[in-house]
Amino acid sequence: MALIEIEGAVKRYGPATALDGVSLQVDAGACVALVGESGSGKTTLLRAINGLTALDEGHAHVRGEPVASLDPVALRRSIGYVQQDGGLIPHWTCLGNAALVPSLLGMADAAERGRNALDATGLDPTIFGGRYPRELSGGQRQRVAIARAVAADPDVLLMDEPFGALDAVTRFEAQEAFLALRGAAGVTAVLVTHDLAEALRIATRIAVMRAGKVVLEAASGDLSAEAREEAARGNGYAAELLKKSGVAA
Amino acid sequence: MGRRWGVAAGPWRPLAWVGVAWVALWGSASVVGRSAAAQVPHRSQTEPVVVASKQFAESYVLAEVFAQLLEQHGHAVDRRLGLGTTELTFQALVRGEVDVYPEYTGTGLVAVLKESPSGGSAGVFRRVSDVFEARWGARWLPPLGFANSYAVALRRSTADSLGIHSLTGLARAAPELAAGFSPDFSGRTDGLAGLSDAYGGMQFREVRNLLQAVKYRALAEGQVDVIDAYSTDGAVARYDLAVMTDDRAFFPPYDAAPLASRRFFEDRPGAVLVLSRLAGRIDEDVMRRANERVELGGAPVAQAASELLAEIGLAGAGSGAGDAVAGRDGGTDSRSVRALPSHMWANRTALGRQAARHLFLVLTSLGAAVLVAVPVGVALERRRSAAEGTIRIAGLLQTIPGIALLAFMIPLFGIGATPAAAALFLYSLLPILRNTYTGIVGAAPGAVEAGRALGMTEGQLLRRIRLPLAAPVVMAGVRTAAVINVGTATLAAFVGAGGLGDPIVAGLALSDPVMILSGAVPAAAMALAVDWGLARAEARVAPKGVREQGR
Repeated sequence: MALIEIEGAVKRYGPATALDGVSLQVDAGACVALVGESGSGKTTLLRAINGLTALDEGHAHVRGEPVASLDPVALRRSIGYVQQDGGLIPHWTCLGNAALVPSLLGMADAAERGRNALDATGLDPTIFGGRYPRELSGGQRQRVAIARAVAADPDVLLMDEPFGALDAVTRFEAQEAFLALRGAAGVTAVLVTHDLAEALRIATRIAVMRAGKVVLEAASGDLSAEAREEAARGNGYAAELLKKSGVAA
Repeated sequence: MGRRWGVAAGPWRPLAWVGVAWVALWGSASVVGRSAAAQVPHRSQTEPVVVASKQFAESYVLAEVFAQLLEQHGHAVDRRLGLGTTELTFQALVRGEVDVYPEYTGTGLVAVLKESPSGGSAGVFRRVSDVFEARWGARWLPPLGFANSYAVALRRSTADSLGIHSLTGLARAAPELAAGFSPDFSGRTDGLAGLSDAYGGMQFREVRNLLQAVKYRALAEGQVDVIDAYSTDGAVARYDLAVMTDDRAFFPPYDAAPLASRRFFEDRPGAVLVLSRLAGRIDEDVMRRANERVELGGAPVAQAASELLAEIGLAGAGSGAGDAVAGRDGGTDSRSVRALPSHMWANRTALGRQAARHLFLVLTSLGAAVLVAVPVGVALERRRSAAEGTIRIAGLLQTIPGIALLAFMIPLFGIGATPAAAALFLYSLLPILRNTYTGIVGAAPGAVEAGRALGMTEGQLLRRIRLPLAAPVVMAGVRTAAVINVGTATLAAFVGAGGLGDPIVAGLALSDPVMILSGAVPAAAMALAVDWGLARAEARVAPKGVREQGR
């Protein structure tokens, strides 16, 4: 059974429809990338998984339980989360930030977990643990954000444009750190990105979204072929997107 | 000079007889009252008599005369000299917060009763006596013996070259003249507006509001051509002014008399009798000399008052004086600013008390504002649609001039520290509320968002992220409010709240720059000290990870 299941999700903001009947399944251990242009509903869908978006219709299940009926605080503490600007707490040290979720959960070894998580993202805790976010580079900050998301060993990790604000070299390093971490922990991840090349590089499956709907979903390796088939059937959006990102001819 | 101008300057003598008759009648009644009081000792007999004055030199002197005379006869006195305008002082009397203060019959008739004068001095006195007693239980004690009418004066040279000696003539020449009137005169129906009606238009080229303290100098230096004055003004003779005759008898008679509250009149017959001894004894010359000593000679009010009492044969043995008017360096003729340090040293005890009082007003109002505005500012973060409206209302309060806000507080809280603290509280709300709200809203929104996504509760977000990051911004608001409050609290003296405004108000009334500075300089120093101290606190509450950033 899928670890995350979304069925017929609808979300409206006033007259605008952000999600227009989306369904999505994420199997344990998978890394699904939600790809699409801005306004296509990627972030709204991501946030439905940890209850930050309350759905108007349809439902989201995590580990077989309906999100709407779970305690949102407990649910969110069990799910890692990384956002574009990192969202580090500026007046806490990197270690304090990294140990946030373990300490919220009252874990006795919270600090130890924070240090291990920093280490796992390639930041030496003896050097970086006592520093404040503004003393770090953008790439280092994003690694602390990833460390914070995984410090309590969640089985699910949600990431909203986690590398979007980084320059190409830094982005590559941060992606490497993420891949190493995921390989070691085997965490199930959902990733929002507008960058198809990034999606192809780090995700196992890709869901292409447009106007609040998933228009194509395929394993990373099959995406190009599937997109061509779609185009042949008269829906050329995914193929066009691939072309625009320069990953397919 | 001929001082028989103004309709009421002359006929004080018949009034004095009315007063004497009044005392005779009333005195016999009071014997009964006193014997009754002796049998059943009234609690209020031991309470100090609250004597107030308005904010000009003559009012100070007369109130001090009342106070010294009462003290001579064994009555304790609480002085509230320079309490406020007519409206404010009278309201305080009606509410029983003031027992007695010097008032003028014409002012009572026109400013309080809003009636136009008729029937001459005796008629006006009867009218105000009847109506004040019926409406408020307030009693006019017998007139003191002089009238202090409004008058309009020019430099003698200007009057001579224009050839005008009466208000009729002045009305014709008005379009070429600049006037400088006290706010009281330009605002009241028995002032400029009524004058203009009575003389078929008084359209001056320009009308400026000038305080008593600067009016004569502005006239002497030619910055204005026409001023309002009082018939007993010491400065009229000093500056050689030409007083326009009131040829259409516009100005009502302004006979001076003690105005007593109902409670004072009923409960304190002994004290009332003491004040009644002044009936008809202070003539215009005596009053003008006392005013001159204070306004031009720089004599302490207490000294001028005891000299006046000696002159009219009612001198006692020694006297005390209120804080605000005590010790003007022994009445040296004119005082330069260089006298400030010695003046402040001589009055250090009173100034210390006033500074403590000032700080008390600022701190209580500020503390209350913090207790209200910070939680409201925090709560508004979760109701952002209501935030703008709420902050705008607080902003509206801020636009009310300090003195007006204080005046609004009087019907609610009376006089004294409470209305002043209430007004200062309202003034403090905006900076603290606005800064709390913007501080909370602007506190690392990305970190708040991530914290929420990772399972921090709203309470944890507030306590651990928002409040620590907003703290320096909130402190900046507290600092702004505190500095505004230290300045605004000087106005509290106008509602009898005390503080460093006391010497400022008294100095303004007595045209004494040294006295003004003795309040203004410590108030400015206090504002600077508060600003400095809170700036340090602001830097200190900034959390470590964000300190120095952009500040």
